[in-house]
Amino acid sequence: MSQVIACYKWVADEADIRINADLSVDLSKAKGKISDYDKNVIEAAVQAAAALGGKAVGVTFGTADAKPSLKDALSRGLDEACYINAQEASQADGAATARALAAAIKKIADVGLIICAEGASDTYSRQTAPRIGALLDLPVVTSVSKMDINGNILTAARKLDDCMQTVKVELPAVVAVLPEINPAPIPGLKAVLAAGKKTVTELKAADLGADLTPRSTVSEVKGYVMNRKNIIFNEGDLAEQVKALAAALRKEGVL
Amino acid sequence: MSQAEDKFDSIIVGAGPAGSACAYTLAKAGKNVLLIERGDTPGAKNVTGGRIYTYALEMLEPGLYAEAALERRVTHEQIMLLGGERAITVDFHQPGFNAGDQAPMSFTILRAVFDEWLAAKAEEAGAIVACGIKVDRLIEQEGRIVGVVAGEDEMYADVVIAADGVNSLMAQEAGLIKDIAAKNVGVGVKEVIELPEQTISERFNLRTDEGAARMLLGCTEGIHGGGFLYTNKQSISLGCVFTPEEVARHRKSVQEIFQDLKMHPAIAPLIADGESIEYSAHLVSEAGFRGIHPRLYREGFLMVGDAAGFVVNTGYSIRGIDLAIVSGIAAAKAIIAAAENIALAGPNYMQELNRLKLMPTMKATDGYFEVLETPWLYDKIPNLANDVMEKLFKVDGETPSGVKENVLGAIKANGLSIWQLTKLGIKGVRSL
Ligand SMILES: Cc1cc2nc3c(=O)[nH]c(=O)nc-3n(C[C@H](O)[C@H](O)[C@H](O)COP(=O)(O)OP(=O)(O)OC[C@H]3O[C@@H](n4cnc5c(N)ncnc54)[C@H](O)[C@@H]3O)c2cc1C
Repeated sequence: MSQVIACYKWVADEADIRINADLSVDLSKAKGKISDYDKNVIEAAVQAAAALGGKAVGVTFGTADAKPSLKDALSRGLDEACYINAQEASQADGAATARALAAAIKKIADVGLIICAEGASDTYSRQTAPRIGALLDLPVVTSVSKMDINGNILTAARKLDDCMQTVKVELPAVVAVLPEINPAPIPGLKAVLAAGKKTVTELKAADLGADLTPRSTVSEVKGYVMNRKNIIFNEGDLAEQVKALAAALRKEGVL
Repeated sequence: MSQAEDKFDSIIVGAGPAGSACAYTLAKAGKNVLLIERGDTPGAKNVTGGRIYTYALEMLEPGLYAEAALERRVTHEQIMLLGGERAITVDFHQPGFNAGDQAPMSFTILRAVFDEWLAAKAEEAGAIVACGIKVDRLIEQEGRIVGVVAGEDEMYADVVIAADGVNSLMAQEAGLIKDIAAKNVGVGVKEVIELPEQTISERFNLRTDEGAARMLLGCTEGIHGGGFLYTNKQSISLGCVFTPEEVARHRKSVQEIFQDLKMHPAIAPLIADGESIEYSAHLVSEAGFRGIHPRLYREGFLMVGDAAGFVVNTGYSIRGIDLAIVSGIAAAKAIIAAAENIALAGPNYMQELNRLKLMPTMKATDGYFEVLETPWLYDKIPNLANDVMEKLFKVDGETPSGVKENVLGAIKANGLSIWQLTKLGIKGVRSL
């Protein structure tokens, strides 16, 4: 039996984030949520676990604030969850995050597949899957928009800039999926109730034996303003105005 | 899942104040309770003006208000009459409403935080709270309500409690109410406007922790309705309630009338430089005692809060949250007392509603409905009051006319008669 790992992140809900007039970012009113793309990760893990006849296990690296994520994640069909509850998560860079997740995954027996999102909805740094692959010495397939599992072989469709690539990989492996991989369903009443009864393993930073010191630190987070050009094309007759508009768009590289 | 795992002692639909108060009381008594809420978090979309009378929280558990998610203690009760660009403000300041040695009488509140806090209390007490789930139907067996259906899932219980608010789908499903009659409801719109705490205190002349609750008359272009303003810690809740039928016929939309109110010379400075952080709209029951549904239960089913029609609107205050909490407690007590024979839950509930003085309160305020029915109350009266004030305070070197003359003139100018006002006065006195 092979277990499938879904890595997910608890992020601030962007709908509640406010940019102040001085462009400083106000997170004080933001509620947490599971990164939207990770909902697809969880669903992909649930489906893959069914294909492999194993369990789907959620793994998250977060601060104490991430606790409410567990009920939500488990109600989405995961069998178990592993919660690395560490203050370090608030400062972690891609490397530290991957080391924390990899260390926790190592503690789980018989892992056949590790699924991450291509990026988290807050930082979108696209590092988690490749770095976990490197740390655990597993093959990595990124930008996956579709996957099938047949015995020990995973066939993934990779969505690239202008073409699709099909890749076969032998399990165990790490994949980074795109949101279009599935339509992550909204959990129903029984699933929500069942979530409360599932097993959660909580780990502290010290349990991991991993170096969680970030090498890159965030020095500033600021909002930005799109500067509009505010050009009005009102010279000449209509035909001339359209011509001027088209020329300007061409100059911008839009046409 | 086995049948036993699909069954609870009680299922409560809706985690507003009524549902959470009911769940809290039942869970504390050791009942196996499921509280289902369609919002992703309790209170996420719930709308209220913004004040809660503390006695209801005290009834739930003495001292609970001290840790509740509340805003300011209301010490300034205000009434504002608008007439054109003029305004009369009555400000009743009673610091005693916020005396240190007892529970303050009422607080301003913001529902998103309050509802989430109260549902969390119910969860702490042992209730299971399932959010993001909409209940679609009731399950009926042999004439009894025995459970609910949400999406694909069925869940059973000895009693289902409808705490799903005004125009309750659950009560309709149970066949106890019909779709709501437009004349019995108001449409409320509301904006929450953010301002620094200090600014609010200064503009409303409030000491730390003090709050103002203001009802406004004359801000609805003659439409049956009124406005409200509540000072929160760092925001102001400003809104209007209108009778939907009259709005539909009116030349201006609700939004336009509300925008005019925000621009009114007596209101604009209060909210100046504030930022609107929330806009919402909701129905509110307006019929008072006669809006209570004739049957509030059937076997295996009880209705609480707005679902039952428990709202009192006197024109100078709206009460619904406190009544929702009290009715939630009443339902819980009724169910606990009916442990031996659950069929008694309904009759017990009616007794509890009387014992906890909810029904007597509704009955005592019944007369307001008729007073508030008076069509010219919403434009002519506030305008008349402002006309009288204007004449009273006007000094321009001319020979002043007598007060009586002034008043009579103003009455006539507003198209009213002494007789109409006397009738209203008698009605008013009777209804008190
Ligand atoms: C504009 C306005 C101003 C008001 N001002 C005040 C005031 O200042 N003071 C005061 O005391 N009262 C005021 N009221 C009245 C007060 O808000 C209500 O009486 C009170 O909210 C009723 O509480 P409730 O728990 O019965 O219902 P609600 O607060 O409406 O809660 C019902 C809950 O049920 C949930 N629900 C509904 N259907 C379903 C379903 N099918 N499945 C699952 N969940 C469901 C909803 O999401 C909601 O959370 C005001 C009302 C309005 C509209």
